Amino acid sequence: MSRIGVFVCHCGENIARMVDVTRVAEETAKLPGVAVSVDYRYMCSDPGQNMIKEAIREHKLDGVVVAACSPQMHEPTFRAAVVEGGLNPYLCEMANIREHCSWVHTDKELATQKAIDLVRIMVEKVGKNQELFPIKVPVTKRALVIGGGIAGIQAALDIASGGHEVVLVEREPSIGGNMARLSETFPTLDCSQCILTPRMVEVDRDPRITLYTYAEVEEVGGFVGNFKVKIRQKAKSVIADLCNGCGDCWNKCPQKKIPSEFDAGLGYRTAIYVPFPQAVPNTPVIDRERCTKFLKDKCGICEKVCTLNAIDYTMEDEIIEVEVGAIVVATGYDLFSVGKDQPNEQWTGYGEYNYDAYPDVIDGIQFERLLSASGPTQGEIRRPSDGKEPKSVVFIACVGSRDPEKGLEYCSKICCMYIAKHAMLYKHKVHDGQPYVFYMDIRAGGKNYEEFVRRAIEEDGVLYIRGRVSKIYKDGEQLVVVGADTLSDSQVQVRADLVVLATAIVPHRDAYELAQKIGFGCGSQGFFSEAHPKLRPVETNTAGIYLAGACQAPKDIPDAVAQAGAAASKVQLLFSSDELEREPIIASVNEATCVHCRNCIRVCPYSAITDKEIKDKKGNLIKMVAEVNEGLCLGCGACVAACPSKSIQLAGFNDEQVFAEITALGSG
Amino acid sequence: MIEQIREKAKELLASGEVKVVIGYENGGLPETTRPVFITSPDEVDRLVWNKYCYANLATFLWRKEVSSLGKPAIVAKGCDVKAIVVLIQESQIKREDVVILGVTCTGVGDPPLSKCPICDVNTPREYDCLFGEEIPPKTDINKFADVDEFEKKSPEERWEFWEEQLSKCVKCYACRQVCPMCYCEICIADKNQPQWIETSSHTRGNYHWNLVRAWHLAGRCVDCLECERVCPVDIPLSLVNRRLAKSVKARFGYEPGYDTEAPPPFTDFKPQDPEEFIK
Amino acid sequence: MSDETKTEDKPAAAEKEWQPRIIAFVCNWCTYAGADLAGTSRMVYEPHVRIIKLPCSGRIDVSFIIKAFEQGADGVMVSGCHPGDCHYTAGNYHARRRFGGFRDLLEFCGFDMRRVVFSWVSAAEGKKWADLVNEAVAKIRELGPFKEYQKLLAEDIWRKEETNSDRETG
Ligand SMILES: Cc1cc2nc3c(=O)[nH]c(=O)nc-3n(C[C@H](O)[C@H](O)[C@H](O)COP(=O)(O)OP(=O)(O)OC[C@H]3O[C@@H](n4cnc5c(N)ncnc54)[C@H](O)[C@@H]3O)c2cc1C
Ligand code: SF4
Ligand code: SF4
Ligand code: SF4
Ligand code: SF4
Ligand code: SF4
Ligand code: FES
Repeated sequence: MSRIGVFVCHCGENIARMVDVTRVAEETAKLPGVAVSVDYRYMCSDPGQNMIKEAIREHKLDGVVVAACSPQMHEPTFRAAVVEGGLNPYLCEMANIREHCSWVHTDKELATQKAIDLVRIMVEKVGKNQELFPIKVPVTKRALVIGGGIAGIQAALDIASGGHEVVLVEREPSIGGNMARLSETFPTLDCSQCILTPRMVEVDRDPRITLYTYAEVEEVGGFVGNFKVKIRQKAKSVIADLCNGCGDCWNKCPQKKIPSEFDAGLGYRTAIYVPFPQAVPNTPVIDRERCTKFLKDKCGICEKVCTLNAIDYTMEDEIIEVEVGAIVVATGYDLFSVGKDQPNEQWTGYGEYNYDAYPDVIDGIQFERLLSASGPTQGEIRRPSDGKEPKSVVFIACVGSRDPEKGLEYCSKICCMYIAKHAMLYKHKVHDGQPYVFYMDIRAGGKNYEEFVRRAIEEDGVLYIRGRVSKIYKDGEQLVVVGADTLSDSQVQVRADLVVLATAIVPHRDAYELAQKIGFGCGSQGFFSEAHPKLRPVETNTAGIYLAGACQAPKDIPDAVAQAGAAASKVQLLFSSDELEREPIIASVNEATCVHCRNCIRVCPYSAITDKEIKDKKGNLIKMVAEVNEGLCLGCGACVAACPSKSIQLAGFNDEQVFAEITALGSG
Repeated sequence: MIEQIREKAKELLASGEVKVVIGYENGGLPETTRPVFITSPDEVDRLVWNKYCYANLATFLWRKEVSSLGKPAIVAKGCDVKAIVVLIQESQIKREDVVILGVTCTGVGDPPLSKCPICDVNTPREYDCLFGEEIPPKTDINKFADVDEFEKKSPEERWEFWEEQLSKCVKCYACRQVCPMCYCEICIADKNQPQWIETSSHTRGNYHWNLVRAWHLAGRCVDCLECERVCPVDIPLSLVNRRLAKSVKARFGYEPGYDTEAPPPFTDFKPQDPEEFIK
Repeated sequence: MSDETKTEDKPAAAEKEWQPRIIAFVCNWCTYAGADLAGTSRMVYEPHVRIIKLPCSGRIDVSFIIKAFEQGADGVMVSGCHPGDCHYTAGNYHARRRFGGFRDLLEFCGFDMRRVVFSWVSAAEGKKWADLVNEAVAKIRELGPFKEYQKLLAEDIWRKEETNSDRETG
């Protein structure tokens, strides 16, 4: 028989006015297992807490029920008191007879009966409570950052400044991401490269950051504080330690007509290349699918011209294993593909815009490259077809965004702003040119954003036409853009030399696979899911994995940087102690009765449950069962209700406890 | 057709590809069959196939006595295959670890069992070898006509009906014993720490048992009718089973037994699932 | 609101009268907190509901409802966070599927579904909680005790005498 102490609080008059506290104490004293039941004016006061501590010692209590206010208010107080009295904190429960009773009822008799019932529930529960101890997990204080765009760079630098090691993995030969491709940035029009390059160099210089470019994450195992990561370093064919980035190799490479990914197809690169002059690191890589040496075993010029002997055609992919405690995912975005070939069968695309057919219909990133001083045209606006300066440019907003019929339902958020920027920059460069914008509505919610758009319209004379474009066709050297003007309710036709489509921001093409590989959630559109849309916007559902930048939702640079900083500080918080303490309210499996139906594994929102093999001494498989990872379980209990054979239980809320609570209310 | 089945069984056993063939043999009484487990190629002639092959043999796939014999081949009607599919979904057996000897079937029983006229798997959906002429799936069947009919009754009438039916239950658990999906090592009915189902045989405990049994089969029961067939007191278990099947179909657009890859419906969700009953 | 507005003791006559017994299974993060808010805002509502707190609506087993009826409850409430708001992101989505199916089963078996109330109550919806409780209590007052269920215990056709001992062990 348990020895439970019941402590009924008056809360001054707050409870005592509507609940006959003396009767509650008297009645509950009669319950089997209750060793002592008393009432007191303020249980949370020092004398009140001392009463509890003394009673624990005097009556050798093995459970405490405090009938008082809401546990949200004072559960920590009383659990701490109980610990001082020598009991495990989880042997203390609260019955909420204030918020749930005295404050909301007006019939003292019924309120008192209810209070007695609420105490009875907790007495029965405490009788089944067990001592629980915090779960401790060691923490490896090294972080992995995936993706070296501005978000990844910022996160890596911040974590490193906090004094921790960082492993940064970037798929491309250089870090920088999409920001490196931009010309000038809204709303201040400062040069993107100028603010980004110093950051990139910092990454390279920081001894705490290990940078792997031309690399990908191959496998992630383990859990918070203890991830084991395999990174595939693709063969660069160039020995980084020897190369000094002189450029002799790429200047001499005869393969000069490879469309440059960095320039979005508007410029060319060689087979051995750095994607752009300011690349970090500035070691080139050989694109083996385009290199004559690899394709036909001929050429070999780069090897010959390299005076440092840095070229190595025999180099192989390497698998690097690292242990990290936290992961920041910052894989950024791609652009919605405008052409007829859609990666997703749901999307029909915008065939009527003839993006595939007309070279002078381009997307926003291509226009950025035309604007960029280091771009294929050295910053002069030249249209791709004939290199002429366009005198009339049409910008079309929401291509793919906000259009569930043909593309995606969400707003890409940044396009309104960069269209205004594009139109403005165009006007700054081509004084006699006319920019037009077809838009649905202008979304310029951000600091100085509305003012920026106003400036484009009022000072730079950008013509905004509200309406959708129905088609684009060619007429001589020009393009005719046909659309509706919904404000004047008329059909409009604009003759343009160049058309720029603000295509939707979509997650990186293999975002889904990456999320699967690492083990966290993806929304239906493929953007990574935050743990809570309001309260935990940088965490994922998997403990120890954080999000930064446009991989979570379309974002501009300041937002991406802010989230990266937040992710970095979450990581530092995690690294602030050697061990992670977690609430012991977690699930555990009864391996004897688990039949491996995998229900629990499927419902767990945190992928905390995995398959486990049970083998005999000789190593033969006896059976499969489910296993809960203590580092990942957050104690929701969804698995418990999903288990048919009741083979998984949640500490603190097990079925025995809940049944005891229900039975406490029994009529019989 | 039986000749071909025997031949295939012989071949599989002789080559060692399977260690046991689970099928039907003639029962003790005329017009009956019973399960048989053939382990030697010489015994394949015991196998029969006729309209008395009611039993859903899928249930033997996970039973230790049978699974310990080695890789099985199993004679399975379309409806039995549905149970195998669910067992695969629930990781009780791997697809590659069983050879399905699918038989096309126009109905078992004389007169045919209630499930047969509403069957849309006369040709099994999943098999390794198929025996018998392919029969195109019936369309235009209402699997829930009797459920719909029963729902027209008033709540009081329904309560009365089930009260009477469930008061008969003797908690023999034959329904569970025979069900291919009741593979739990310790059933919830046998869990006593804490006690889930009241053990003494009053109707209140019977309610808990029968509601939970039906509930545990929701989205999983393939309406093989075995439970109803073995119930010694003739409780119409298929009626509740199919009420839940109807619910799962209407609410989540899911029917069990067709897709080995699909997650069981109560381990899955969609943000837009119906919630008309929630205030 | 001042405490003075509270009413004084009612005559103890109420004691004799039948009072509805309702058990509520609620999640810790939204509905429990919503009920707390009703308290801090001093919203007066009926005193017949006994809350049993679980971490999440996803933890609520269908058997809890049956057990509640076995223990003589006249009504049951089940409540959690609104879709999208679950503290554990998905518990309420699982709960919604589960109870959608289970309620259909109960209804089919003739349970009066006015006795089982499912709801989403957020931490900000103290008023909604109070209203739901009042509504449920009013309904169940109207329906009276859940006699049909309670009499199942007595209805043992085989061994009537056992029911008494059973009653003790609950
Ligand atoms: C046309 C256009 C104009 C814009 N103009 C502005 C502007 O003026 N002002 C402004 O604030 N914002 C602007 N933006 C938005 C800006 O580009 C983004 O906010 C910013 O680039 C987001 O940075 P990020 O690091 O999140 O993603 P990204 O820049 O996309 O970086 C992601 C990085 O991760 C890498 N990566 C992806 N997958 C993997 C993987 N599996 N493994 C390893 N590495 C991976 C990628 O290669 C890339 O380097 C503009 C966007 C567009 C399209
Ligand atoms: S739900 Fe239960 S029986 Fe199924 S795998 Fe999980 S613990 Fe095992
Ligand atoms: S309690 Fe919740 S978080 Fe923990 S293992 Fe179960 S489902 Fe996963
Ligand atoms: S077979 Fe029939 S009598 Fe036996 S437990 Fe099942 S329902 Fe009850
Ligand atoms: S519940 Fe009955 S009908 Fe359904 S699968 Fe089990 S035995 Fe067959
Ligand atoms: S009734 Fe439920 S617990 Fe019992 S064997 Fe069947 S599925 Fe398992
Ligand atoms: S925490 Fe409230 S429903 Fe999950």
